[in-house]
Amino acid sequence: MLVTVPAWAQAPARGIPRMPDGKPDLNGLWQVLNTASWDLEDHNGALHVPAGQGVVEGGEIPYQASALGKKKENFQRRETNDPAEAACYMPGIPRATYMPFPFEIIQNPKLVAMSYEFGHTRRTIFTDGTPHPSGFPDFWMGDSRGRWEGDTLVVDVTNLDDRTWLDHAGNYHSDALHVVERYTLTDPDHVLYEATIEDPKVFTRTWKISMPLYRRLEKNAKILEYDCVQYIQDQKYGNAKPVGAK
Amino acid sequence: MRRIFFSIAAASILATGSLSLLQAQETAPKTYLAKARTADGHPDMQGMWARRGVQMAEANAPKSPLGEFGATGQPYPTVFNTGVFTEQDRSALASRPAGIVDPANRVLPWRPEADAARREFLSHMIPPASLKYVEAAARCTQPGPLQGDDRHPYQIVQRPGSFVLMYEYSHVTRMIPTDGRPHVGPNIRLYMGDSVGHWEGDTLVVDTTNFNDETAFSQTIPYHSEALHTTERFTMSSPYIIDYQITIEDPKLFTAPVRIEGNFVAAAKGSELMEFACAEGSQTLANIFGFGAFEAQ
Repeated sequence: MLVTVPAWAQAPARGIPRMPDGKPDLNGLWQVLNTASWDLEDHNGALHVPAGQGVVEGGEIPYQASALGKKKENFQRRETNDPAEAACYMPGIPRATYMPFPFEIIQNPKLVAMSYEFGHTRRTIFTDGTPHPSGFPDFWMGDSRGRWEGDTLVVDVTNLDDRTWLDHAGNYHSDALHVVERYTLTDPDHVLYEATIEDPKVFTRTWKISMPLYRRLEKNAKILEYDCVQYIQDQKYGNAKPVGAK
Repeated sequence: MRRIFFSIAAASILATGSLSLLQAQETAPKTYLAKARTADGHPDMQGMWARRGVQMAEANAPKSPLGEFGATGQPYPTVFNTGVFTEQDRSALASRPAGIVDPANRVLPWRPEADAARREFLSHMIPPASLKYVEAAARCTQPGPLQGDDRHPYQIVQRPGSFVLMYEYSHVTRMIPTDGRPHVGPNIRLYMGDSVGHWEGDTLVVDTTNFNDETAFSQTIPYHSEALHTTERFTMSSPYIIDYQITIEDPKLFTAPVRIEGNFVAAAKGSELMEFACAEGSQTLANIFGFGAFEAQ
């Protein structure tokens, strides 16, 4: 099979860490330094929302005219309806990548696992040539299968649950979402993260986001816990009386 | 094929001079020398595993109001237990220690006042008097030191400088650094604690502190204290068995350490960790309190 690899991904990056098999070594703790989780598009500051420039190539997300209404409704109700922030549900892909929390990449020759501090969420990206399973339901974090194109890890994500949002501004998708992510180490401490987002039920065309991931360099850096399910339960039910309690 | 593999393993153990497979297994940590090694020379434990026997089932336990752990709410039928073992393999394993081994009579060394307090606590759990009395597992809390699950697989990945134990259950990932770093500061409290590991010969020893007090030991011990300190030992006793020990020290509950033993047994080839969602689909708290995740009281 002929695979077209872009020239910039073919040229081996110099000085990046490599695994014994020669593949780039993505092991480590990574985090974005942007506001994409609040809004993928250009946005102004608001209470608890840092201002930010968008990460969408071309500026705007290409919604179908009939799909924009739901986005606007989501935005109006974002404080109570954002699945990740209001209920602490697993954020899905690609949002897990750009939540303002670190995540650890665990890599061996057969798999790459990503362990996210937000909600102790995790997904495994199988790089052993196995296909997406057939006949499986949707998963909050989807089903990820990866392959290497030169020095770039390319991850194909399907089976994504339609109940996640792409950001806190209510950008959303359907169960037809298909994400292709690309992870490229550009130097020892930076990964170029790119994701193309395809959803023929919601968007007019495939669109793309990109951003750098930064390596957490603190000597004692490690994933801690942000188990917000428990924090929200405490807030919501901490003073509540069980039904039927005296 | 599985049987052939097993027979070769058995033959190689027998060839070392042991009298029987069972005996070989019982003394295995001393006699088994793992052939597969990681690049840094440690036994290669990477792969998919099932955990067995790691439960704090105490003698003379009060009746649990909660039923068996995990008896309800399994999110999907596990694809896992059709693993590599034949009945013969299972029975060989079944004769090995599992559960509380010290104290041998499984009567836990309770501080009397702590035992009374937990019995009182249990009496408020069904129906729960308030959120505080809702079973940790029903809140989709991470499982803490013991309440991982013997029904869902585990996966081990080893890297230079760290040992990673991934649970399918509750999508827990334990990142265990083996690079000599110290524990995090004492004010950091974690559901899964803070683990650091080191190798003693071919045994991985994991020291865990910094627990919070919001996970349970068992159905009848619905919590532990923040003073909890665990020491775990992972030792391969065959290519398909990791012997596992965990020593529990919780001086606020017990007057002496408690040791539990169990195993990780190899899973079927091609097993994968699947997604274990809990809070995302759970109606438990909505049923208890009468309003759900997206509703106001």
